[in-house]
Amino acid sequence: MKSRLRKGLVAAVAAGTLMVTSCGFGGGGSEAEGEGGDTTIDMLVPSYSDNTKALWEGVVEEFEAANDGVTVNLQIESWENLESVLQTKIQSGEAPDIYNGGAFSAFAAEGLLYPAEDIASEDIIGDFQESFVENESFEGTQYGLPLLASARALFYNKDLMEEAGVAEPPKTWDELYDAAKKITDTGTPGYGMPLGSEEAQGESLIWFAGNGGGFGDESEITVNTPENVEAAEFMKKMITDGVTQPDPGATQRTPMINVFAQGKIGMVYALPQTVGQIDKENPDLNYGVANVPTNTGEPATLGVADRLMAFKNDDDKQEAITQFMDFFFETGTYVPWVEAEGFLPTTKSGAEEMASNEVLKPFLEMLPDAQFYPTSNPAWNATDGAFKSLMGQLEDQDAKTVLNQIQAKADAAG
Amino acid sequence: MSTLTPPVIRERKRGGGPQNRDSLWAALPWVGPVLLLIFGVVLFPAAYMIYSSTRRISQAGTNVEGVGFENFATVFADPNLPRVLLNTFVWVIVVVSVTVVLSLLLANFLNKPFPGRTLVRMAVIVPWAASVVMTTTVFYYGLDRDYGIMNSFLVDIGLLDSTYGFTKNVATALGAAIVVGIFVSIPFTTYTLLAGLQAVPSDALEAAKMDGAGPVRTYFSVVLPQLRGALAVAVLINVINVFNNLPILRIMTGSIPGYSADTLMTYIFKVLQFDRRLDIASALSVVNFAVVILIVAVYVKVVKPMKET
Repeated sequence: MKSRLRKGLVAAVAAGTLMVTSCGFGGGGSEAEGEGGDTTIDMLVPSYSDNTKALWEGVVEEFEAANDGVTVNLQIESWENLESVLQTKIQSGEAPDIYNGGAFSAFAAEGLLYPAEDIASEDIIGDFQESFVENESFEGTQYGLPLLASARALFYNKDLMEEAGVAEPPKTWDELYDAAKKITDTGTPGYGMPLGSEEAQGESLIWFAGNGGGFGDESEITVNTPENVEAAEFMKKMITDGVTQPDPGATQRTPMINVFAQGKIGMVYALPQTVGQIDKENPDLNYGVANVPTNTGEPATLGVADRLMAFKNDDDKQEAITQFMDFFFETGTYVPWVEAEGFLPTTKSGAEEMASNEVLKPFLEMLPDAQFYPTSNPAWNATDGAFKSLMGQLEDQDAKTVLNQIQAKADAAG
Repeated sequence: MSTLTPPVIRERKRGGGPQNRDSLWAALPWVGPVLLLIFGVVLFPAAYMIYSSTRRISQAGTNVEGVGFENFATVFADPNLPRVLLNTFVWVIVVVSVTVVLSLLLANFLNKPFPGRTLVRMAVIVPWAASVVMTTTVFYYGLDRDYGIMNSFLVDIGLLDSTYGFTKNVATALGAAIVVGIFVSIPFTTYTLLAGLQAVPSDALEAAKMDGAGPVRTYFSVVLPQLRGALAVAVLINVINVFNNLPILRIMTGSIPGYSADTLMTYIFKVLQFDRRLDIASALSVVNFAVVILIVAVYVKVVKPMKET
């Protein structure tokens, strides 16, 4: 009798232990079933602005009201954490059903994603601009639904330029250097170069593209090419000659753009949303937006498109995901969302709808000349990370050495 | 990630007969939940970490195949490792030794009766009660070049000609992190030592006085030896805590490019976040875990903190 009791206890403890184990690894499975055949879609999205949370919550609320039995479980992370959160989720078998992110090819290559045609109706897929669709495909299959686009332009402080005696916004590197030097001589940093871990890859690609370089394509990552090295050497010259802000290698983009908005930096590369940000935070700032200066003066800039993708999970949630995508990309929902975030639309109907927007016009014009990140290359994730952690060393290391280090990390991952 | 296993005090028993086994079963309902907790939050994650360190895990996070000790070979061949280890040891040694010395002074001070002592004692706890991330962030913004209040203060009193990017250069960023590390470690250490001081019997002090020992002699020959236990605990816990500290370093040195300001913890984090190498990060964590255990073992062996005086 006594011993049977003990055996029972041991069994209970063992079972309890197993339960603890399975909690960490299979959680989410049961909640997806819900009650009465309800479906829960887990959605992981990054925060684009302070509005992002409210905007998505609005979309989710309307979607849930229109679709009985489907609930959306929204999780918002900062860009800095987004990808490590995703990786942890995948490793523990809890990949989000809908994910809004950058690179996708590594996931596509491993068969973790639904093809686009399985998660959106034909009408929606046919509405995307052709130039974006190419960027969303891996080995001939489209996986991502382009969510929004962005490009970079040169923002310059007119008052500081005037004080320094610079008449026109620069069109070439040499003009940019001169303008930055003249502004720096008046006591304010002339050019802001953010090579910190937030977005070193962005600043780098703007410069590389300005010299006919780039990061490579779907099959090959090319970082230490002669064009790129030449561009990096020019960046280094700007740093060594002191015409940038101090410590560019440790400067993050967002705080630096705030400093520009306060009128304390002459020129920076910034985004469409920066226009809205300055309107709100410092409407008196006298600034202009111009094309990105390049080595030869030929137009080139960095374009970025982020996308929605859907991970295959054991539960068949494909139908609910399709419902959500069809709902979201409808012009009535999509355009207000993109507009509120201050980005450029990726759908043809969206572009028509927003053509009248004067503020975004310069960016829409530059988009055809934009260089995209080679996100469909499986080694892109590692290259991106290497830029973030290593590019800032340009401050005290030779340009070629830094690019070689990044190339080595890319090759190791390829 | 490595976790501190609570010290297990093992009672040596003679013989392990059936009676002993019986009492073990009887104790299970009481120790069971604790065992479960230890298994769930300490042993299992640690074992999983060790397992991950012997696998190849893809960039996307799928577990591909076992590779034996290949990840460790990569870790030990890593040219960044010596600098990272050096930073780690400087960080631990400076923070712990300065903390202990300052706390010892503070504890002696707080042990003397003076008006307002309770208030001062409570004030010492504040850095402990505040979140480490919050405290560090306050320092980080205070030291900011463009709008940092500490930076403008240093300029105002004439120590600096113009504001300086303290958190953007290796030496100053590590220095600032060390200051914050000491600041947040002092409350715990002071209280541990204060408890030790209060346990010094007053008759021992009286006896020393009777024997004609001066205050200095009394302190070093009577008080300090009695503090041995408290000091040992304070040092050991601080070493482990400081060694595994991530938030302070990540905030203070996080924006510095390359790896020249990294300690093992922040390096593991970068390998995970930027290189996306879960496998290498796991191998590094195992190394981290081993180093902590080694330090504790050497410390216990050399200092013999448990030895009765």
